[in-house]
Parts: sequence; structure tokens; C-alpha cells
Amino acid sequence: MADERDPRAERFERYLDALLAGGRPSPEDVESGDEAEMARLAAEIAGAVRDDSAEPDPAFVEQLRLRMRAADAGLASVQVPPPVRDKAVEPAGHRPWRLTRRQLLQGAIGAAAGLAAGLIGVSVVPRTPADAPTLGGSDDLVAGDGFWEEVALLADLPPGTAARFSTAAFDGFIVNDAGEVRALSSVCTHMGCTLQYRPDWQDLRCPCHGASFDLAGRLANGRSTWRDNPYPGDARAYPIALPDLVRPRVKVQDGAIMVWTAQA
Amino acid sequence: MSTGPGRFEQVYGQHVVGIYRFVYARVGNRPDAEDLTAQVFVRAVEQLDTAREPGQIAAWLYRVAQNAIADHWRAFYRLPVVGVDHVAPGWEPADDAPQRAATPDETASLRVQALLGGLPDRYRRVLELRFLQRMSVAETAQAMGITSGNAKVLQYRALRKAALIGEATDG
Repeated sequence: MADERDPRAERFERYLDALLAGGRPSPEDVESGDEAEMARLAAEIAGAVRDDSAEPDPAFVEQLRLRMRAADAGLASVQVPPPVRDKAVEPAGHRPWRLTRRQLLQGAIGAAAGLAAGLIGVSVVPRTPADAPTLGGSDDLVAGDGFWEEVALLADLPPGTAARFSTAAFDGFIVNDAGEVRALSSVCTHMGCTLQYRPDWQDLRCPCHGASFDLAGRLANGRSTWRDNPYPGDARAYPIALPDLVRPRVKVQDGAIMVWTAQA
Repeated sequence: MSTGPGRFEQVYGQHVVGIYRFVYARVGNRPDAEDLTAQVFVRAVEQLDTAREPGQIAAWLYRVAQNAIADHWRAFYRLPVVGVDHVAPGWEPADDAPQRAATPDETASLRVQALLGGLPDRYRRVLELRFLQRMSVAETAQAMGITSGNAKVLQYRALRKAALIGEATDG
């Protein structure tokens, strides 16, 4: 046959080229439903060839296992509502739970941060009960062992701001959403990247694939309303549904914001 | 309490390789297979009742995987994407999903062999060179004594033809 060229075939080759190189092919190189069928078939043929990538990468399996373990532990602390034991002072030498090295280290960091805050005078700002934001059921009586960990002072978190925190169970953000304080995991529920807070848009955005979560932890991309206005972050819907961000329990006590850590 | 610590991790350990293979056989590349596998287990850690029977757990996981794959392909069909809760028409999880997943390579490769076998010689040849021998377009063209432009047209037509055969066989 003569040297025949077909723009469709040239474009579709970009899809095949990415696929056969073991990369992630783009829907951009597929233009019609027929071509989508072809793309799916090509993927199936490629997937039927026994090569290295037909088996999971052990590093991937291990990484995902650690993510799942953390999520499982995090959920346990959220789903099993914790007791409020503000007054519980354990007798010396008696501990109902064992702290891990990591928890001890983070406790030490928290203490250091509290000390630093005291030194710059933040903690002496008087706070009346009227300052306390609504927290929604933080006084529920609940079962399970755990402890509250102070992560910040309410005075340092005016409405419309957010701050990073880290406890034994969570890395996340505490946000003051118009007077309501919430704690949100900073781990994107897509691939586990660390979210970033954007004050202008009042959202948590993932640098990896662009997912945005509102301050209640729900996926926001493509949402038509956002506090009575269209969501300004991303006009396009996220291509897949993502679970909400994990939200550990939080309360404000004597002007301190505390996050709950459950002990399994 | 039925969901003791480590129970979920046990489920993960039992199924992660199977789910990956199942997904890989349908998307054909590692990055997408890893993404979708992670999606399945992220969903599972939140929603799967690990106290269920092992057979039900497997069925649940493979159904979620099947839906995640369907949503993945929706982007290629330019269809609005819905959550993985939704089962797209024509993508209802087959009853034998877990069994198929145990040996996805066998079932999938049988289907692929049947499809390739149903193609005219030149079509089959161009796909074998590119997919099985992983030749580049230039190498394929050289092996077949044609130009690169022709090779791209040939593989395009071969896949279109195979997709038509595949549709007919799927019923």
C-alpha cells in the first residue's frame, strides 16, 4: 500500500505508545466511542501479556498496606466515639494504655509547642466561655480508651483560618469555619498525597491530581454552589468520586483546641 | 466487637495481589492499575464489613474493583463520571468475578487469543508485533516492509476490527 497517513491513526498511536511504554495513557488521545472501545481492547491485550507489570510492585503493596493501616486506625478512633475523660488524672505508675515511641515523641513536641506559645504570651489572652465555638456533640458520653491532645490555642485560630497539627494518630488541619472548629485529615483520599490549605478558596487542595475538599471534608470539585456562590476552585468535576476526609474528634476546652486519639 | 485490629489488614493481605491482577488485566498499565487498586482498598477500609464471610468479602471487593474500572473507562467515552457505587450499564459485575480474578491472565488471554485469531493475517500480525513483541511503530513497519504511517493505519484498523468482533462475542 502507498504511504498512507491518517490523522486519527496518528493520534491514536499516542494512546498506544503510552500504553505500551507502561505509562498512563490519556483519554485526550481518544476521540469517539468507537475509539474508546479500541482503547479498552488495546488495554486488555496489553494486560494479557505476562510481563513484570502484570504483578504488583512489592513496594506499592507495602506502601498501600501502611496507608490502610493508618486509615484503619484513624477510622477506629473516629467511628468508636471516645469517652470524655477531661478530669481523668491517672495515678503515677499506672497507665491504661501503652504509648508508642512515636506517640511519646509527638507528645514531647506538643509540649514544646505549648511552652513556646506560652512564652510569646498567647496563652495569657483571657478567654470567656462565650468565645467557645459550637462543636457539635463533643460532650457525648462514649466508650473506648484514648486521650485528648492539645494541638493549638483557639486564640491562634480566628474564623477563616487553618493550621497544621500532628498527633499520634493524625496529621491534619484544624480549621475555624465561621466559628466552628473542625479537625480534618490532611491525607487525600485518592492516592494519599498531603493536602494544602488555600485561604482564598477555603478548601484543602491535593497537589497530585487536583482534588479539592471543602472544610467539612467533602470533595468540592465541580460543585455548583459554595456558600451561595459557585465553587471557585475547580470548574470541572473530579473524574472519580472520593470518600470524605477522615475527621478526628475535636473540642475546645479552656481556650485550647484538643484532638482525640483513640487507643486500640 | 467483630472488627478487631488487624482484621482489615488480613483482608488486604489476602486480596491485594488478586485485585491488582484483576484490574491490570483490564487497564493494561501499572500506573492506572495501582491507582484503581488503591481506590478499592480506600473504599474497603471505610465501608467493608470485615465480619462478613470470606466469600462475601471477596465478592464485595471485586464488585468495587469492577465499578472503579468502569468509571476509569468513562473518561475515555466522554461520559459523565459517577461514583463507584454506580454500576454502569453493561458493566454489571459478573457472578464469577472473584473466580475470574484468581486467574485473570488465563481468562483474559483466552479472550485476547480468540480475538486475535479472528482477525485477517495482516491485522493479527501488526498487533502481535506491537503488543506481544513490544516493537515500536518503526520496528513493526520494518518487520512488515511498510512505512510507519502505514503501520499506524494498519494497527488502527486492526483494533477497530477487533473491537467489532469483541462486541459481537460479548453479545
